[in-house]
Amino acid sequence: MNHYDEMTCLQYLEGLLERPRALELSAHAEGCGECRTLLRALEGESKLLTSALREQEESVPARLLSPVFRQKTPWAWIVSFGMAAAGLYWLWNTIIDPWRAQLSQAGFGETDLLTMMLFRGSLWNGWQTMWTMVQALAVICFGMLGFFLLRRGARRWHTIAVVLVALMSVMLLSTGPSAAEIHRGQSTYTLPAGSDVKTDLILIGSMSVHIDGTVDGDVISLLGQSVTVTGHVTGDVIVFGQTLTVNGTVDGNIRAFVQQVTLRGKVAKNISVWANALETDSGSEVGHGILAFGNIITIEGGVGRDILTFANHLMVNGPVGGNIRATCDMMTIGSSAQIQGATVYKGHHEAEIDLGAKLASPVQFTLATRSPEYTSTRYYWHLALSWGAAFTFGLVLILLIPSLFVETVRNTERFAAAGFGALLMFGTPIVAGLVCLTIVGLAVSISTLMLYAMAVYAGKTFIAVWLGQKMFGTTLHTGGLIGRLAAGLVVIYALRQIPYTIGTWVAVLVAIWGLGALALALYQRLLRVQPASASAAVAA
Amino acid sequence: MGATKQPGGMGSWGEQGPPDLAALIGRARAGNLEAWGEIYRLFAAPIFRFCRRALPTREDAEDATMEIFMKLREKIGQYDSSRPFQAWLYKVSANHCWDMLRRRRIRQDLETEGVEEMPLEHPDPSQLDRMLEERTSEDVRRALAKLPARSRMALVLRYYSEMSYDEIADSIGVRRNFVGVVLLRARHQLREVLGGKAAAMAAGETR
Repeated sequence: MNHYDEMTCLQYLEGLLERPRALELSAHAEGCGECRTLLRALEGESKLLTSALREQEESVPARLLSPVFRQKTPWAWIVSFGMAAAGLYWLWNTIIDPWRAQLSQAGFGETDLLTMMLFRGSLWNGWQTMWTMVQALAVICFGMLGFFLLRRGARRWHTIAVVLVALMSVMLLSTGPSAAEIHRGQSTYTLPAGSDVKTDLILIGSMSVHIDGTVDGDVISLLGQSVTVTGHVTGDVIVFGQTLTVNGTVDGNIRAFVQQVTLRGKVAKNISVWANALETDSGSEVGHGILAFGNIITIEGGVGRDILTFANHLMVNGPVGGNIRATCDMMTIGSSAQIQGATVYKGHHEAEIDLGAKLASPVQFTLATRSPEYTSTRYYWHLALSWGAAFTFGLVLILLIPSLFVETVRNTERFAAAGFGALLMFGTPIVAGLVCLTIVGLAVSISTLMLYAMAVYAGKTFIAVWLGQKMFGTTLHTGGLIGRLAAGLVVIYALRQIPYTIGTWVAVLVAIWGLGALALALYQRLLRVQPASASAAVAA
Repeated sequence: MGATKQPGGMGSWGEQGPPDLAALIGRARAGNLEAWGEIYRLFAAPIFRFCRRALPTREDAEDATMEIFMKLREKIGQYDSSRPFQAWLYKVSANHCWDMLRRRRIRQDLETEGVEEMPLEHPDPSQLDRMLEERTSEDVRRALAKLPARSRMALVLRYYSEMSYDEIADSIGVRRNFVGVVLLRARHQLREVLGGKAAAMAAGETR
């Protein structure tokens, strides 16, 4: 006797058979024990499946039970956004704008701080190309990141290939602007007096460089030991190395990242240095201004415009055409000093002013305090505003990259985040320093450091949301996340006010932890091959 | 269904759902957060249970539940209010979970060829009947967890969410005609695991 197959029986039970066929089957089953048993078994199986699937043997996790959609009091929002706006305004008004104004007075007239600090013609014309490249690279990176986040299914090697191609094309491009004369790895380089170079001169890795002749362009020395300019440079002198001595004339600017800068000759435009020591001799002359970050800054020569310094010790003993604005441990003004503008000094000790010194106006001195002034309202106002700035940053992150943000917050629960964070916190600047070894590397490393700074700053926002979730429960709703961000930041800022360096340690720990969590989340995105299936089968 | 105290599926509210559901959805559509809170309160548990059945781990299910509710807020505009809300909810959930599984590439059996070629032999009815009688729902759950993703998903969609074959076809991306085959094959795999061939199955799955 022919029996009905299992599929037909199942369809019959599920009511999917057409009516004549179903009637036929039920008539058959009347007289066929085996088919009846099969129908019964299948029906039993369906029931068993249904009850197995629907049984509530497991409780619903508590974090899902708290409602995530809640009506918020608009006041909290109004205050938060108000603070955020005020924070940004304050940041602009008290830090960025005055600085910009100061710098443009000092002869570094540029429209935005970043461009002014590092790029643009005042540094080196080649930077312009480099800057375009950095921007292109950034656009490529962001594009890829976006692509990657949108289509996580994309194969990883595609991404790697795109990165490599982008890097290679950048490398190729970078050879573009080199109409310059380039010397690599030559241990000494001397341009004898009387001879000249008609283009930019780029020296990489030279132990000792002497420019006694004329360079009709810029002189750039990277990774060298000592550079001495006794001749004439019509462009800028840019040095990353040990020492720079200028006895001759530079028609452009001096930009130096070195141990020691000594100026005995003449610089027509500006000097910007990051150095241990900057010394300008009494016979020397700087046409425009001096911007110096360093340990000991001694200015005995003439300066046409402003002096801006962040230093340990600043000594001024010569004519200054503009203002002096100094933040340092201590300032000395010698007897030969003639300061035409204002002198604004913030430090730990009163300025020492020699009797013979001529100042257009008295020194405006502010005592730099080592510990925050807990009693002044200004201090709390400042605190509230920096909270506002951090909140705005977190807000932007939540709105721009919500899922990565949530993943990062989730990763803060892992202790690996702390280790990862510490590694990145201290490792990134070192690696960035090493990458500086090539011209392209310099651009890459600057952009890396910028991203790094942003990530470090962002760290507290992740921790803040995590703290908020500990206080008010987990949510994925944007509004809820923002509320938790606000509350968590309040806690973090409160903890950071603990005196005796505990607050500082809190800040460092928060930054490290947040950075690590972000790194972990990014790492997981890169390696989203799910190992969970096997372990899940075992666990279940 | 009688054995369960409160089924987690659509049975929770019967066919009509809570009386004010339509009004609630209307308010939610207009962006009323309280209405969303109410919807969440009503459906978070069943959706979590659905995800718990469909996905490998409890953590995945928790995350998926939250993500589904975020998705709902974006997609509420697409909901056709003439049709049952719960069904739509499960459809969104099923799509989300299936996407999640697919992204993770833990589908070993996604190619339809495998399904088509699968011989469906006639089982011995009385033996099957006996075997099933000895198995508890706990056994079945444990066995389900060991099934390939698609088989498990198909069974969950059919017997937890009570989806139609058309809806299942849509959710797991097979042709309507194969849904029956997928379901039957899933049952066979389940029987195999239940019948004590668990070790062999697990080995086959992790390959």
